Amino acid sequence: MQYLIMCRSMTYAQRSAALLERSGIFARVVKAPLGLSSNGCGYGVALSRRFDEARELLKRYNLISGKIFFRDDEGEYREIN
Amino acid sequence: MIYFDNAATSMIKPLAVSRAVLKAMQTMASPGRGAHEPAMRGAKVVFDCRMEAAELFNVPDAEQIVFTMNATHGLNIGINSMVRRGTRVLVSGYEHNSVTRPLAFMGADIHVASSAPFDSAGILESFKKELPWAELVVCTHVSNVFGFILPIYEIAELCRRQGVPLIVDASQSAGTLEVDYSRLGAEFIAMPGHKGLFGPQGTGLLICARPCLPLISGGSGTDSIVQHMPEYLPDRLEAGTHNVCGIAGLLEGIRYVRDKGIKNIFEHETELVKSMTESLSQVEGLEIFTNGRRFQSGVLSLRSSKLSCEDMAAALSERGICVRTGLHCAPYAHRSAGTLETGTVRFSFSPFNTEEEVDACCQFIKDLL
Repeated sequence: MQYLIMCRSMTYAQRSAALLERSGIFARVVKAPLGLSSNGCGYGVALSRRFDEARELLKRYNLISGKIFFRDDEGEYREIN
Repeated sequence: MIYFDNAATSMIKPLAVSRAVLKAMQTMASPGRGAHEPAMRGAKVVFDCRMEAAELFNVPDAEQIVFTMNATHGLNIGINSMVRRGTRVLVSGYEHNSVTRPLAFMGADIHVASSAPFDSAGILESFKKELPWAELVVCTHVSNVFGFILPIYEIAELCRRQGVPLIVDASQSAGTLEVDYSRLGAEFIAMPGHKGLFGPQGTGLLICARPCLPLISGGSGTDSIVQHMPEYLPDRLEAGTHNVCGIAGLLEGIRYVRDKGIKNIFEHETELVKSMTESLSQVEGLEIFTNGRRFQSGVLSLRSSKLSCEDMAAALSERGICVRTGLHCAPYAHRSAGTLETGTVRFSFSPFNTEEEVDACCQFIKDLL
């Protein structure tokens, strides 16, 4: 399972991942599945652990710009608030 | 060879720059176009360069750093975004054609705030007088011909007080003088990557206050269904494949500048200007445009009453000394200094130049004249 925080651009995703890394939270920049983005190709950060902490951190730095998804062990995505 | 044409491009680069270019060429693909390893390696270099530039120029968000081909490209984006036919634009009397030609192309109504070279108070007074008329100011930080450092922070303050937006051309100052985006509060700051930042030719940076009109449209790797450029930076202004190899080199160039320190670079270059000025001051018929290091960067222009600028440059070139002559694409600057008829011979220094090179060059000029 993992969380996917959608970002409005590759640069945003990179900034988000860098910020999380500085706080010891491992997150990868990933290309988002096409079905999750209404406008076509998009990027996000994926992480498996410390999601709540990561979300709070990104909020504090105004880096939450897109939807957030949870991916279960079957590979299904569902949007979370 | 002695290379004194750094105001055009800094040909001698830190070794790390060419190594980074080669490594990028061999190992990196297009950022934002895939999630495979070579694409992500390219993306990381591009991001690292944005971050490094944001630090150097005190820019709050790395998104505000846009990669361009050169300063001209960046200035065209800024001018195209803010100027329409008849827009009242105030410029300094030291602008390069990279400013004045796009303004002329857009049909701007141009006024010039001028002074003699190195008259900092005079040009500030001229800006004060003309500013109420203006809808936009475009101003260079340093004259590419004379090295005249314009009082750009004071001009920016005047603009802020009058509510007039400002575009800064930092072509000759990026890497040698403090260019502080947050202090300037400019709409745009355009600069080359290949001069004082030691990147390869074909690189440049545009610092943007906010999203503006793209000059070109195309693929951005994001929002692909939408048929206009994304609204957000930097994607809005970066259509097409990035110059990853160039950006990789630029990253190392900026690291070099930060490591060496801008003040040290400035000190070294202006020391060379001082040495050259002192060495040539007694040469008969030689007019040297200098101000004893006040308001002057590492650029020195001169002309001789005995030999044309072109002939002097040709003789220097035969001796392996690279300088630039003519109008330096800056007729406004030559008009301000009264050198439009002759042009000047320009010597422009970098941290890689030495006192020994200056001595050798001065001796040759003395022998020549």
